[in-house]
Amino acid sequence: MNLSPHQSKLIMPVMLVLLVSLACVSLLVGDVNLSIRQILYGLYDHTSPSAMIVWNMRIPRLLTALLIGGALSMAGVVMQSFFRNSLANPGLLGVSSGSAAGAVIAIACGWSAISLWFLPAAALVGAFAATLGVLILAKRGASTERLLLAGVALNALLGAFTSYVLSQRIGLYEKNAQILFWLLGGLEDRSWEHVFIALPIVVTAIFLLPISRSMDLMSLGWNEAQSLGVDVRSIRRRMIILSTLLTAFSTAVVGAIGFVGLIVPHGLRLIVGPEHKRLLPLSFIAGAIFVITCDIIGRLAGGIQLGIITSLIGAPFFLYLLRKLP
Amino acid sequence: MNSLKVDLLSVPGRLSEISFTVDSGKVIGLVGPNGAGKSSLLQALAGLLVYSGNVYWNGTSLDKIPAIERARIASWIPQEAHFEFGFTVRSVVEQGRFAHGDDQLGINEVLTAFDLITLSDRPVNHLSAGERARVLLARACITEAPIQFWDEPLAALDPRHRLETLRIARKLALKGSIIILSLHDISQALGLDQVIVVNNGKLEAIGSPNEVLTDELLLRVFKVQASRNLSNLNLELPTKL
Repeated sequence: MNLSPHQSKLIMPVMLVLLVSLACVSLLVGDVNLSIRQILYGLYDHTSPSAMIVWNMRIPRLLTALLIGGALSMAGVVMQSFFRNSLANPGLLGVSSGSAAGAVIAIACGWSAISLWFLPAAALVGAFAATLGVLILAKRGASTERLLLAGVALNALLGAFTSYVLSQRIGLYEKNAQILFWLLGGLEDRSWEHVFIALPIVVTAIFLLPISRSMDLMSLGWNEAQSLGVDVRSIRRRMIILSTLLTAFSTAVVGAIGFVGLIVPHGLRLIVGPEHKRLLPLSFIAGAIFVITCDIIGRLAGGIQLGIITSLIGAPFFLYLLRKLP
Repeated sequence: MNSLKVDLLSVPGRLSEISFTVDSGKVIGLVGPNGAGKSSLLQALAGLLVYSGNVYWNGTSLDKIPAIERARIASWIPQEAHFEFGFTVRSVVEQGRFAHGDDQLGINEVLTAFDLITLSDRPVNHLSAGERARVLLARACITEAPIQFWDEPLAALDPRHRLETLRIARKLALKGSIIILSLHDISQALGLDQVIVVNNGKLEAIGSPNEVLTDELLLRVFKVQASRNLSNLNLELPTKL
């Protein structure tokens, strides 16, 4: 389904227009019904009654959705290229489950109540500890198979740990609700603090762009890439670190959101081709579009959490792929 | 004259103390029974396996050279190509110019030489094994590296493309390159400048095909009895197609 060169040139502007349109729609949707005029008043006049809702609730939520959608999608592109498999996702190396485990510990121990920053910090520490664990388990310079197996093992272990903590907290409804919210992933009550926590995503995404050509070569085989002049060890390290950062900051802000990092890069590859110079920036925009759309659907459906909507869309996507297989 | 010197090259469990020197301008066949260490030797020479010993190009150890500079000296192609993503033939061949700053020099010429020009916009994951092998060969040639390590480049090719590939290898050698290609068909090595025979990870023999591929060696290493007669089918490229 690759596009013609003419269509190819149009895809970036079309996606940007779509993103801006969806952002406008996102500002209109919420528990409180606000008209377009009220939204505009809110945007320009900080003293208007709608300003608080627009500036303190809807814009931070929109920006958070944009950043984490872009980040998860880009992380998916990196993981798919790293594992040379278009079904790879950002959670393969245990980042998401490590992040969830960190967050669950913070909630269970009551640290999350001390400061708004504690929970994301614990999630970030968990994410990096998990990735480090996978790399140590798989040993330095390990093959993709070793990394995958180590990731599966650590994901299972951390999942068991999270479930154990959850089972020990039965009866503590408030904490359990917080843990569940985290595990399902959502954009509810995201504030400017969350946007600031997610801001490093932008820098991380920019750092990925210079290695896009090397990623093209890596995605056709590490030995081939090395023989063509890619410093494979260095690029592998950068790919893992940057993908971990993107996933970790996203999970730290909104919890575990599945399928974004799998569906968006996979679908986008089918449309724009596999070259990372185009794929990376487009995947950021497409990921943002996907998450903002899912969030709008969730809010229109009466407040269904983001993670549930992305999973709901993910399941039929897999069925579609299943149909396409010979 | 440029030279490639291999000194006591060993890879644990695969290769044991292999030493030889070859000069530029030669097409060299690497033969040996299955599992003898042909692919391992080519990978080690290309710097893709951790080895002990040394590989020198004009007296400089290739180990000391950064990946990007090494890619301008030595090119390697794998035995089989697995393409997961749908890069076009042209974009995969263009990757051969990565070490030259992606200057795309000579892309159309090499696509034509390997009969790929009509396939240039096709995704590589939709090609046949033989077509994929030609894409890898084209990518290796476009690097203009003076040392070419080709692992079973002819195995998936039809007779015409085998002959074309050997003709291109000869052209590269005339320009001063060293081409070492592994072969599983010993008779293909007969027309080459030199033959390296490996067995059980060790160097068995090196020299001209007539000197090396003796009846005794074929029986001892390959466990086959040689017979030479005039009824062998000899294929050549026609002067005009």
